[in-house]
Amino acid sequence: MTTIKEKALGFTIVDRRDGKLALANMYVAFIALFIGGLCGLLQVLVRSGKFTLPWGIGYYQVLTVHGVLLGLILTTYFILGFQIAAMSRTSGTFTDKQRLLGWIGFWVMTIGTVAAATMVLLNEASVLYTFYAPLQAHWIFYVGMALVVVGSWIVGIALFMKYIEWRKANPGQPSPLLSFMVVVNMAMWQICTLGVAVEVVFQLIPWSLGWVDKVDVLLSRTLFWYFGHPLVYFWLLPAYMVWYVVIPKIIGGKIFSDALARLSFMLFLLFSIPVGFHHQLTEPGIQSFWKFLQVVLTMMVVIPSLLTAFSMFASFELRGRQLGAKGLFGWFKKLPWNDARFTVPFIGMAAFVPAGAGGIINASHQMNQLIHNTIWVTGHFHLTVATTVVLTFFGASYWLLPHLTGRVLTKQMNKLAIIQGIVWAVGMTIMSAAMHIVGLMGAPRRSDFSTYGGAAQATDWIPYQIAQAVGGTILFVGIILILYIVVNLLFFAPKGETEFPIGEVSEHAEKSPMWLENWKIWLTICIALILFAYTVPVIEMIQNAPPGSKGYKFW
Amino acid sequence: MSKKKEKDSDLKGTLYSVGLVGIFILVTWFMAFYLFIDRF
Repeated sequence: MTTIKEKALGFTIVDRRDGKLALANMYVAFIALFIGGLCGLLQVLVRSGKFTLPWGIGYYQVLTVHGVLLGLILTTYFILGFQIAAMSRTSGTFTDKQRLLGWIGFWVMTIGTVAAATMVLLNEASVLYTFYAPLQAHWIFYVGMALVVVGSWIVGIALFMKYIEWRKANPGQPSPLLSFMVVVNMAMWQICTLGVAVEVVFQLIPWSLGWVDKVDVLLSRTLFWYFGHPLVYFWLLPAYMVWYVVIPKIIGGKIFSDALARLSFMLFLLFSIPVGFHHQLTEPGIQSFWKFLQVVLTMMVVIPSLLTAFSMFASFELRGRQLGAKGLFGWFKKLPWNDARFTVPFIGMAAFVPAGAGGIINASHQMNQLIHNTIWVTGHFHLTVATTVVLTFFGASYWLLPHLTGRVLTKQMNKLAIIQGIVWAVGMTIMSAAMHIVGLMGAPRRSDFSTYGGAAQATDWIPYQIAQAVGGTILFVGIILILYIVVNLLFFAPKGETEFPIGEVSEHAEKSPMWLENWKIWLTICIALILFAYTVPVIEMIQNAPPGSKGYKFW
Repeated sequence: MSKKKEKDSDLKGTLYSVGLVGIFILVTWFMAFYLFIDRF
């Protein structure tokens, strides 16, 4: 229910001008989904060994398009679009200046995206989405990626300005939960992207332009993963926003606890950044102690993750019991399974159980050797980002897009959306399970199809690669379905009003203490943890720098 | 207060659900650990 105060302030509907900005981001996101998804299909077909790319298109070129467009472009644009709408809905319409910043950020990002994409399509930048040195792309690719980051900072500033304005207008009051969450996510983003910005601007651009001959690979990878892991949480936190704030409203229940949600987000801010070494556990040049320290910090993320699981189950159970559910799990049947806005994100939540379990295995220090650089890792992040996050985003699109376009999700589209979620779940179960299993059998990630000179071990991988092609093909059908629904919601669905659902906090929940929103405390701890985890190892890396590497173009 | 207690006792399913998630994580971790010890 929207409160009377909210209604009076006109916060129930996202202002059309803000909506237009949010929608512009959504358009780019879904175009990226189509092109990136198509490349994903091509990849699994190539890896099955039954298909060869035509017209001299390279496997690694297609892989780069897939990774960059889906991992970086789809996610960032969708998240910024969603957050702009969420901020406008809960803290009020943007001022002209704030909205202008939002548009400037959007265009800077888009110019960067087009520049980087052009270089990839011209086969000048087949360096995969991690753009690891010493693979060397054309300098325009790096400048493009830098512009994407800078553009996102500008949008972030607009979001911060809105939040500050709200806090000033409402002294002593906790900010709207959704706005608070947006600010946590953007604060994390601004801090972590500094790493990749330094890597790109000071290492990769001068090196790709030939101003310097060699690049310090160890340092560049460290800077990348300083950004790369929080990137994962930048994807995940908007999904959590939907789970914490929107889903309780959709099921007709309440937010279990405002304070718990805020605490969980602040813990994510603290423990998402000083943990990049868990992606470099086999990296020479980093002392074991510092890897161990970051492994411990990584494991701390289990706490807010399980807080979130508890909160979700509690919201579901309380609602189910309210509807008369009996027994230990009777509430499960009472959930609105015929509502795509709930069911599709729920499939995402369910996927996060094996995804989280896999993540803990990956980050378990020496045990990382079991799966390092195998396709298990690909299977893992296709559960996290490509199922949990993406299905939550799809579920959110089913109310957000019609809300912004002044249309409604029809019964048929709702049904199709549920089918889409099931298709996705089936395709991903087949593809991701095959990746996990064959990864444990030693199959590498990233690499093109090869029989490895007829090696017996590689022959054992082939049936699993065919299973990946089957799963990937089903997933592509899922992409066609979601795009059909999205086009319907944008241009053809009947006109009408669709709610932007915002849950109310349970009357049994305690009032949130204000220290949960004391940024001085949280940012100080956040920066202290980063300095603690990174200062000494980075100094050691620079003092004992490995010989630099010249650039390589293997494609 | 009594109303609050009643609410608390309603969350048994939640407790078991989170417990099951925890058990799943532990079981998969130990399976991977067994493989690791076996191989390295």
